[in-house]
Amino acid sequence: MFAGLRGAKSGGGTRSIARRLFVSAILWSVALLLVAGVIISDIYRRTTEQAFDQRLGVYLRAIVADVATPGDDQRLEPGQLGEPQFELTLSGWYWEVTRLDVEKPEFRASRSLFAMQLPRLSSLGVQAGLGGSRSGYAIGPEGRRIRIVEREIDIGDSGIYLVQVAATTEEVEAQIWRFYIALAVTFGVLAVALAGAAAMQVRFGLRPLRALQEEVSAIRQGERDKIEGRFSEDLAPLAGELNLLIDSNREILERARTQVGNLAHGLKTPLSVLLNDARTEATPLAEKVEEQARIMSDQVTWYLDRARAAARTNVIGAVTEVEPAVAALVRTFQKIYAGRGLAFTAQVEAGLKFRGERQDFEEMIGNLLDNAGKWASSRVEISAFPLAEAEAGRPTFETVIEDDGPGLPHDERARALARGLRLDETKPGSGLGLSIVSDLVALHGGEVKLEDSPLGGLRVRLRLPMM
Amino acid sequence: MRLLVVEDDKDLNRQLVTALEQAGYAVDRAYDGEEGQFLGDTEPYDAVVLDVGLPRRDGVTVLEQWRAAGRKMPVLILTARDRWSDKVQGFDAGADDYVTKPFHMEEVLARIRALLRRAAGHATSDLVCGSVRLDTKAGRVVVDGAPVKLTSHEYRLLAYMMHHTGRVISRTELVEHLYDQDFDRDSNTIEVFVGRLRKKLGVDMIQTVRGLGYLLEPPAPGASG
Repeated sequence: MFAGLRGAKSGGGTRSIARRLFVSAILWSVALLLVAGVIISDIYRRTTEQAFDQRLGVYLRAIVADVATPGDDQRLEPGQLGEPQFELTLSGWYWEVTRLDVEKPEFRASRSLFAMQLPRLSSLGVQAGLGGSRSGYAIGPEGRRIRIVEREIDIGDSGIYLVQVAATTEEVEAQIWRFYIALAVTFGVLAVALAGAAAMQVRFGLRPLRALQEEVSAIRQGERDKIEGRFSEDLAPLAGELNLLIDSNREILERARTQVGNLAHGLKTPLSVLLNDARTEATPLAEKVEEQARIMSDQVTWYLDRARAAARTNVIGAVTEVEPAVAALVRTFQKIYAGRGLAFTAQVEAGLKFRGERQDFEEMIGNLLDNAGKWASSRVEISAFPLAEAEAGRPTFETVIEDDGPGLPHDERARALARGLRLDETKPGSGLGLSIVSDLVALHGGEVKLEDSPLGGLRVRLRLPMM
Repeated sequence: MRLLVVEDDKDLNRQLVTALEQAGYAVDRAYDGEEGQFLGDTEPYDAVVLDVGLPRRDGVTVLEQWRAAGRKMPVLILTARDRWSDKVQGFDAGADDYVTKPFHMEEVLARIRALLRRAAGHATSDLVCGSVRLDTKAGRVVVDGAPVKLTSHEYRLLAYMMHHTGRVISRTELVEHLYDQDFDRDSNTIEVFVGRLRKKLGVDMIQTVRGLGYLLEPPAPGASG
């Protein structure tokens, strides 16, 4: 029952909240039960001892009364106490009366003591209680543990006597142990019940957290764009903050993109003007201006691409419908290549969703289609379908773009896909536009492969994560 | 051929207009989206060069509203935004082609030529009618292999008519498509130009259709010049 309470992937280091709550509840209950157990058993032991002492005290008082009454020394007969245990040899129940004020102590004892003597509590260092009597444990005949109650009485001329009554504690100990066992069993059952209650509390109490986790994971998977549903008082602020965080994440990204676009527009227009005016003159200055403007233009393009890549990295929960995106691109390319009469055909599985932003998807497919269009002699085909085997647990889909152009020799394929080589491709249109595709594919954890197409030209296979 | 250039950068606008005029087009200019849209709505342009990032109304909106209003002239968009998503947006708004800034003026000229040709249903940059051959790329006219020198107005007139052979073209249409809005539009000048053109070409292929306008047709075999 406990294993299920742990967080999905709490990792080795930090414990889950459920575990913390559960463990602290268990530790606390066990500590309380232990303390309570110790106190209760101590009380029980004292109470039992007191009851036993009282019982011994009754016999003690009877003997004391007997000793204190002057008369026949032999009057005290064992049977008079009405307790047969004193008659049986080494029964565990004893009494003894010792005269202390004479040189050679005089003894009288129960038959059960059988010519042995009881140890004296006074010599064992036990303090006298109320009424001058002492009670305590000692080792008696046969090495058995006994409880002794003793009292000194001074009867004036008749002398000073020490009266002792003792009994084995076996019976009492057994009674106390039975109580201990019963207590331990009761408290054990109680501890288990408390643990169960704690587990249920934790499970029930953490249910809103789990609901929140499900919401957040739905956002990550792009099923939702904000946390919805009602949360308890203590979680609602967290859900609200998360929503704000998601919004601000989107907003920052949007702003970064807008600014990148504005920068591009702002710089590229004056560059166009410089380039065009410089080209109309044949002076050395004009040549210099043209050359430098061209370098500036390349630099702007290079840094804009990098800025975009940086702004692009982490958009939470972006999802793109593949079919409409491909359809829009195909419409575009039909217009761009209208002059050459190229046929662009698309075959996309309905409902396919790319896990990522539409702009990124269009950038990848757009570059690949453009490349295919440049080389194709009459047609370009694009298809997209989900892949059966999931890579590392993530579902993926494949987009295949092929043309009937001359294709690309094997040894040039690796170079075409090399990343970050755009600065070298300064001649407009000379690059394959594939390096930026490589960058984007890598960013999304996908894969791009170049192959021969049955149409005769190049076939590009693009594997990307899908919903 | 009459074109409209909508570009907010004054220098770039001037460069575009100059280059297009040198290539033999009548060109109107606008510096913001509203002005551009108004001109495009009211004047019969053969093609438009439209910047995407315009003040007052952005180019994509202008284009969408033209298309929604049924204006079908070819539109070449100029954009600094070179991502495919930007291009797709432009094409979906109704653009026919695009040029990314910074660009070579030759590229704009080539694309405009291609758009005009495509709109008129021609496959090559050479327009041929009988023995007359007009090279839109080089702006040259050849009759029976011999080059003919034309003024820019004469060239525009011939080019427009050769883009629309086999159909009667009214004088008003000619005036609208040959001159920019600042030109003194007197339809009588058209007759003068047509007369000069007939003389220079030396081939009788411009027929006057009384009350309607002109018709450019290859001369019937055996007809005398």
